[in-house]
Amino acid sequence: MTAPIRLSVPGTLAYRAVAVRVVAEAARLVSSSKRREPDNPLTVDVTDPFDTAVVSAFMEIFNNIALHAYSAATGTIELAITPGERQLTIEIADTGAPFDMTTVTPLPDVTADALPEGGMGIHIATAMLDEVSYQPGPPNRWRLLKRS
Amino acid sequence: MLAPYEVTRSPHLTLAVRGSLDINTAPALAEEVDRIMANRPPAITVDLGALELIDSSGVAALVKLYKAIRAAGGTITFVNTRDQPLAIFKLLKMDRVFGI
Repeated sequence: MTAPIRLSVPGTLAYRAVAVRVVAEAARLVSSSKRREPDNPLTVDVTDPFDTAVVSAFMEIFNNIALHAYSAATGTIELAITPGERQLTIEIADTGAPFDMTTVTPLPDVTADALPEGGMGIHIATAMLDEVSYQPGPPNRWRLLKRS
Repeated sequence: MLAPYEVTRSPHLTLAVRGSLDINTAPALAEEVDRIMANRPPAITVDLGALELIDSSGVAALVKLYKAIRAAGGTITFVNTRDQPLAIFKLLKMDRVFGI
């Protein structure tokens, strides 16, 4: 097992892009995808389906923690990202308010007259990944797994 | 920070969204949507060719624009959607609604 990549960032949206870039590069270690613009460090450059799934899901979980867990408190988001031979695991810990997974309701049928403007984040994460688990804390622990 | 969008009005009203449309950048786009809709445009093209990443907040901003245009009797066309944003629209089944 590869040693995890560890990252600790303040649990605010200002640090979201930093965490997303690290996760994107970790996903690339598993997918072996190449950057379309290798000389442009300003792009996240996510095109591979595996990278897309991992980054899309992670962005939503990070948003959830920064917005909800740390809405009334400050703290850090601790990441342990483990690239395996055929899978990527992301363990995320925070010490904010626990998230109530029972509040997640199914997405309604999407039509031109009924388009949702919220409540999509957890659905994106669960649909994109093979496993999403959450254990309320403290610390609250998310575990995300994507197989290639 | 570079604005996540550019509006051009000639020859047609076009909103080009670029970079990452997410929880940090979507509020600026939502404000631009309000400015766009103040003129009640009959049609708008949303060019997503330079959009790298989108999250649910970014999707919500585009849904807001879609609803506002339709409520005003206008038409909206999405073009050049690719990569991660296309995957998100497909996952949410919005690709069919947006004609992507």
